[in-house]
Amino acid sequence: MRIKVEDLSYVYSPKTPFEKVALDGVSFTVKEGDTVGIIGSTGSGKSTLCQHFNALIRVTHGKIYVGDVDISSKKTDLTALRKQVGMLFQFPEYQLFDDTVAKDVQFGPLNFGFDREEAARLAAEAIKMVGMDYDEVKDKSPFELSGGEKRRAAIAGVIASKPSVLVLDEPTAGLDPIGKREILELVKELKKSFCKTVIMISHNMDEIAANCNRVIVLHDGKLLYDTTPEELFADPEAVARTDLGYPHSVHIKRLLEAKGVKLDTAALDADSLLEALKRRYCV
Amino acid sequence: MRDITLGQYYPADSFTHKLDPRVKLVLVIAFIVMVFLVKNLIAYAAVILCVVLGTLISRIPISKVLKSIKTIIFLVLFTAVLNLLFYKGDTVLWSWWRISVSLEGILFSIKMALRLILLVMGTTLLTYTTTPTGLTDGMESLMYPLKLIKVPTHDIAVIMSIALRFIPILSEEVDKIMMAQKARGASFDTGGIVKRAKALLPVLIPLFVSAFRRADELALALDARCYNATPNRTRYQIMKPTYRDLIAVAGTAAFIVLVVALNMNFWGAYVPSESLWWLFS
Ligand SMILES: Nc1ncnc2c1ncn2[C@@H]1O[C@H](COP(=O)(O)OP(=O)(O)OP(=O)(O)O)[C@@H](O)[C@H]1O
Ligand SMILES: [Mg+2]
Repeated sequence: MRIKVEDLSYVYSPKTPFEKVALDGVSFTVKEGDTVGIIGSTGSGKSTLCQHFNALIRVTHGKIYVGDVDISSKKTDLTALRKQVGMLFQFPEYQLFDDTVAKDVQFGPLNFGFDREEAARLAAEAIKMVGMDYDEVKDKSPFELSGGEKRRAAIAGVIASKPSVLVLDEPTAGLDPIGKREILELVKELKKSFCKTVIMISHNMDEIAANCNRVIVLHDGKLLYDTTPEELFADPEAVARTDLGYPHSVHIKRLLEAKGVKLDTAALDADSLLEALKRRYCV
Repeated sequence: MRDITLGQYYPADSFTHKLDPRVKLVLVIAFIVMVFLVKNLIAYAAVILCVVLGTLISRIPISKVLKSIKTIIFLVLFTAVLNLLFYKGDTVLWSWWRISVSLEGILFSIKMALRLILLVMGTTLLTYTTTPTGLTDGMESLMYPLKLIKVPTHDIAVIMSIALRFIPILSEEVDKIMMAQKARGASFDTGGIVKRAKALLPVLIPLFVSAFRRADELALALDARCYNATPNRTRYQIMKPTYRDLIAVAGTAAFIVLVVALNMNFWGAYVPSESLWWLFS
């Protein structure tokens, strides 16, 4: 599913003293199969941008096309759109409400018109996919789960209806390292099956460099860069402008380069850095 | 910052915004009394002038003022129509069954409508120009006499300001939760009343869970900073009347004198001409 954003602007509380321009003339295109990272400092408009993709915030200025559908039009079928574009919020544990995990995960599929049996099947599948033991958790209350488990249950609730685009707002914030890795693994798995296009917001440059094939940098609501991680992290000026810093592996590569060790890699993750070092020293 | 109309505060840099909240509270009470004292139309004109001046000085846009009137317009029209039809006046213009419209009735319903509108305009001027914290602090300070008879005024004020503080937080949370559920296909504006009420459950449960968690955290944070309502607590913001408050008090007092004078035709010193009786009765 291709997503095309044209000259999108958004103002919170317009015409009041609280007026806040959150997005200002943003244009870019996400191709099917892309994993796009959206980065930018706090308050740069990342969440606001992402909430436009499934019309949680309606387009007020500019245009967005999801596939061939113009979602800026008032007549958009919101249910169909939201089934297609799944969205995980910054703190998804807020969305848990039902008395058992299984029922909570079924909430989405039932709303999107699957019958009970089908919804139960989809829920079971999704719970297994996020790495939880279905038989163990299905009758538990979602409020008994630990923070990380809540996060997983919430993700299951989003992917249960098999969206073809997944929008993730800081999916790994507040998780332990293993939990982080598992979520990113899950995203990779999903890309192999039904969900070909992923858009993720993250403050963790390691994650962006290792998982995304494109990055979009926002700054004060404006689009600053629309490029690849290789190019972005190879450009010290760009990194300085966004005040986000380098991924650890790129940082080490730059330290080595300062010592005169030239490496033939963008060093977007530890593995590629290690491989390049091995090649360099013929080990 | 978000626009939460319940707090109503309209930030601006004006004379009225800078007044001591206590002075504003007292002045508003005086204003309410003044509105109830008013009898004749010419005195109403003076009160209208007072409110218009107050609004201009406070730099509140007309649209905001109209918005506050809009909420009571139905009540105003309803009472005006009832007064018009059922007021027993001498100069009957039209009558049918028990209903009669008289000249006095028309005057009376105009006055009642004016009274309601002026009351709302005057009091919203207070809430537009004073932060909720300012209001509760001011009230606490004015409740001082109650403190002497052991009413826990400080606790009441703290409870009030915490409650006010939580309104925008909770409303933000409702927004977030509704968005998350909408993303999972929930819809809150379709179907009959039962269906809509049911659709709110997935919002209310996470809301309560997080509200209780927040309340717990707040209690812990208060404890961790050794908060307790001992007497003689010092304050971060000390309210201190200035020359501005003097001017405001003097101005309002002048208006009250004017209104009372107009009300009584300058203590009978002025005898209105025949054709102007409606202005002075
Ligand atoms: N509901 C709202 N009402 C008013 N202003 C808002 C609202 N939500 C966000 N804003 C403002 O809009 C701007 C962009 O917010 P947004 O949440 O999109 O930032 P973000 O890039 O996601 O930041 P973060 O990294 O902290 O999540 C911020 O300045 C914020 O204060
Ligand atoms: Mg955000």
